[in-house]
Amino acid sequence: MKHSRFLILAAIVLLFALPAILSHSLVNAVNQMLIAALFACAFNLLCGQAGMLSFGHAAYFGIGAFATLHAMGIMGQESLLPTPLLPLAGACVGFLSGLAAGWFSTKRTGVYFSMITLALAELLHTMAPHLRSLFGGEAGLSGMRYPALGLTFGSDIHVYYLTLVWVLGAIGLQYYITLTPYGRLVLALRENSHRLSFLGYNVHHLGTLTFALSAMLTGIAGGLQAISIEASNYAIFDMHLSSEVVLNTYIGGVNVFLGPILGAAVMTFFGNAASDLTRNWLLYKGIIFVLVMMFMPTGIAGLVMMLTANLRKYSALLLWPVLLLSCIATFLLTMGTVFTVEMMQRILSQDYQMLAQMSDGGEWPPVQLFGRQWLPGSLISWGLPVVLFVAGGYFVKLAKNRWRVLQEASSDQSSETDSIHNLGEMTTESEHELNEREKA
Amino acid sequence: MEYFTISLLNGTVYGLLLFMVSAGLTLIFGMMGVLNFAHTSFYMLGAYFAYTLQKYISFWPSIILATVLAGGGGIVVERYFLRRVHRYGHAHELLLTFGLSYIIAELIKLFYGNYPTNYRVPESLHFSAFQIFGTDYPVYRLLMGGISLGMFLLVYLLLSRTRVGIVVRSAIYRPRMAEALGHNVPLVFMGVFGVGAALAGLAGAVAGAFYTTNPNMALELGVIVFVVVVVGGLGSLEGAMLASLIIGLSSSFAVGIDLSLVDLFAFFGAGEWAQGLGGLMELKVSSLSATIPFALMLIILLVRPSGLLGEKG
Repeated sequence: MKHSRFLILAAIVLLFALPAILSHSLVNAVNQMLIAALFACAFNLLCGQAGMLSFGHAAYFGIGAFATLHAMGIMGQESLLPTPLLPLAGACVGFLSGLAAGWFSTKRTGVYFSMITLALAELLHTMAPHLRSLFGGEAGLSGMRYPALGLTFGSDIHVYYLTLVWVLGAIGLQYYITLTPYGRLVLALRENSHRLSFLGYNVHHLGTLTFALSAMLTGIAGGLQAISIEASNYAIFDMHLSSEVVLNTYIGGVNVFLGPILGAAVMTFFGNAASDLTRNWLLYKGIIFVLVMMFMPTGIAGLVMMLTANLRKYSALLLWPVLLLSCIATFLLTMGTVFTVEMMQRILSQDYQMLAQMSDGGEWPPVQLFGRQWLPGSLISWGLPVVLFVAGGYFVKLAKNRWRVLQEASSDQSSETDSIHNLGEMTTESEHELNEREKA
Repeated sequence: MEYFTISLLNGTVYGLLLFMVSAGLTLIFGMMGVLNFAHTSFYMLGAYFAYTLQKYISFWPSIILATVLAGGGGIVVERYFLRRVHRYGHAHELLLTFGLSYIIAELIKLFYGNYPTNYRVPESLHFSAFQIFGTDYPVYRLLMGGISLGMFLLVYLLLSRTRVGIVVRSAIYRPRMAEALGHNVPLVFMGVFGVGAALAGLAGAVAGAFYTTNPNMALELGVIVFVVVVVGGLGSLEGAMLASLIIGLSSSFAVGIDLSLVDLFAFFGAGEWAQGLGGLMELKVSSLSATIPFALMLIILLVRPSGLLGEKG
């Protein structure tokens, strides 16, 4: 606990120091990461903590963005709020729309809940281009940041600090909420809403309030986005954004508070870095997501927790061979996949197919990849990924064997329960809480 | 009259097409409780398979082969992906199919490029069935509707009249009981998933030639298929048919209606007041044709969540 608190503090200090270290474009990237992190965190209040999977959170993000733009003043109108307070508009409108949408959607649970959120978001998405005064039609709206409090908000650095303060504040607020009795009730809502209603709580009101709070925080994220790019159009309501936040949150891990923040930051950074390098980055993103779903259901945060738990359990000396082997295996398999995909993309591209047709049945011209020429007909070009995959598979097997030996050796020493199952912990916690209330 | 007849015909055919895609989805949901986000990906795969195969074999065999291949894809997804995450719960299953739909779309872009293909109706089928109000009505539209109707009949009879159908229905209704009685429920699941994917693939192979075949076709149809399944009632084949027709007809008719709420108020003599309000009041029905299905879905979910013909609620 001490460690993690120290780490978080260090991370915050680092975030404040970043503009002094990084270049402008990187500061912009971090800005995007922060916004995505807040969005995922707000989404997780509903999805991870209250157990309601929403498929239309882009709606509240977009509403927040447009509300902020309207408050900012469109096309030279007077700004309603000083620039640093603009996200408040997103928060208020987000909260109100969340209250309305939440009232309807939390009447149902499970898949039906997801479907209602999806329907509401799509309703907005299909109507937005026609509501010209609100969303500016197909072209969208654009505004301008006005100087306030002696700051011009003209440079990226000012915007970065504005975003940072708001994101930290909003995430801090949400963390505080989870500690309050209300926050505990939200967890109980996920674990057993029937029991909660038998205890005399109004489950519908609770769900609505949680939905509204989540929409409010999402609205702040949307507002920050609008401030940083000073424009927005109806494409923000697209299903794509709703799905992205789901992906980010689950890749990060829904059961840990910091998980979605981590996931969103990592995936946004990955998106920024990879989209510069390759056109197939969405494919890689999809593959990562599916792998996480299949083999790491607790996400990155779950992986980190498993690692720390195991470090406590076994000595580092015993554990490092397993870690090293898994890292090598991951590296080899990743290399194999990337090589295959990039090679395929280059060979299948239109330009190359034209070249190949010109060669008239002769040998196809070589492909430039990773600083080397590869002949599509040669053995090396296709043998290399095969070798990588086989070697990767071999290392996976080695790591698995090592791990089994380690577990068998320690199983007779202690049978301490893993703290991977944070979910279980939370359950017992909330049950404990309920039991206490029942007694009272 | 011309507008009415043409809209009726087109709407019905579009509805039947929607049914072909959503039939598998509703069966899969009814059985496994999983909303399969990758379902329309099989629709897209069917279209691309058929398009590719047409370079080597003729039209009909390639459609049949594409259907089989899409079904095979479905079986692989169920057997090697979904079954693995089953123990983590429904949310994970749903999200897995979601990730798979992502991958399939990106792979299609990788192999075929991010632009529409020139998959077209073969010349031999490119003639008009009859003339209506001076315009030719393509026979291919009727063919699509016919295939869909035939499929509905086949699946319906299979489910209600055969022994396999009884086992499948019991596995949908009480999977544990069916398993206790000695039926291999996971195999049934796999089979239904495969058949559902094959049906979607067939729809794609047939419709891809008429509409466009592009890497976004799964996404475009994806949400509307959910609407059909929810409105019809999750797990109900007849409901899916009814909902498909309703949505097909409503979107086909709405496109041509040039009225708005202002006109409605004008009928009661409050037109100018409504005009002054602007915003929602001035929206034309034609511009809302994409919105209507979602509004319908919302109303159904709030009023009758089990859907028009659904039993489970």
